[in-house]
Amino acid sequence: MNENRRQILEMLAAGKITADEAERLLAAIEDAPVPSNGARAEEAPAKAKAKYIRVLVEANEKGGPTTVNVRVPMQLLRAGVRLASLIPVQAHEQFDQAMNKHGVPLTLSQIKPENLEELIDHLEDLTVDVDGKDDVAKVRVFCE
Amino acid sequence: MTPNIAIVHVHNPHWRGVRLWIPLFLLWIPLVLLSPLIFLILAVVCLGCRINLWRAIAAFWTISCSLPGTNVHVRSEGNQVLVRIL
Repeated sequence: MNENRRQILEMLAAGKITADEAERLLAAIEDAPVPSNGARAEEAPAKAKAKYIRVLVEANEKGGPTTVNVRVPMQLLRAGVRLASLIPVQAHEQFDQAMNKHGVPLTLSQIKPENLEELIDHLEDLTVDVDGKDDVAKVRVFCE
Repeated sequence: MTPNIAIVHVHNPHWRGVRLWIPLFLLWIPLVLLSPLIFLILAVVCLGCRINLWRAIAAFWTISCSLPGTNVHVRSEGNQVLVRIL
């Protein structure tokens, strides 16, 4: 018997909780996700890795609706961030100063390729939905 | 894989649309022929900008290899522009 279930039944037997409370607790246990271990984890379908980042913009302007649909391969994003390594060391200080001036305390030399890779990896979970006033414009950014 | 074909589709309600298939793989011919000159220019530019030449070549090669799959579609007031890189 499950340890949690046993505890609930013991509390019920000891009169610490009522039958209704015990029922609710048992129901909550049954609905709770099963911890991923062993065979259960293997049964779970592997999350497909996102290949593209999509930007959708829909705007209702006076002249008519405007839509923009851009699909960019994730691989291109990864390649793009590698361009940062091409920035000459002499320019780092100027860049940092300019970013600080605009309220972004960023030190370019501290950003390593691993950090950028990690950033791209986490983009897969990103979904941005922006709805403008009166449904004038909608922006959606997501990975697929 | 480097991009092979680019599709550019322009459509206008008042004008006949254009659908272009641009064979990017044919760019390899002038690129190979002009490679010594391109390399020389790149080397001078990289030296001037104090950038590692090999790193620059690697970065641009990676970017060009990542381009296939890019898709841009803009539609406004009946006008449409579609750019696809295959």
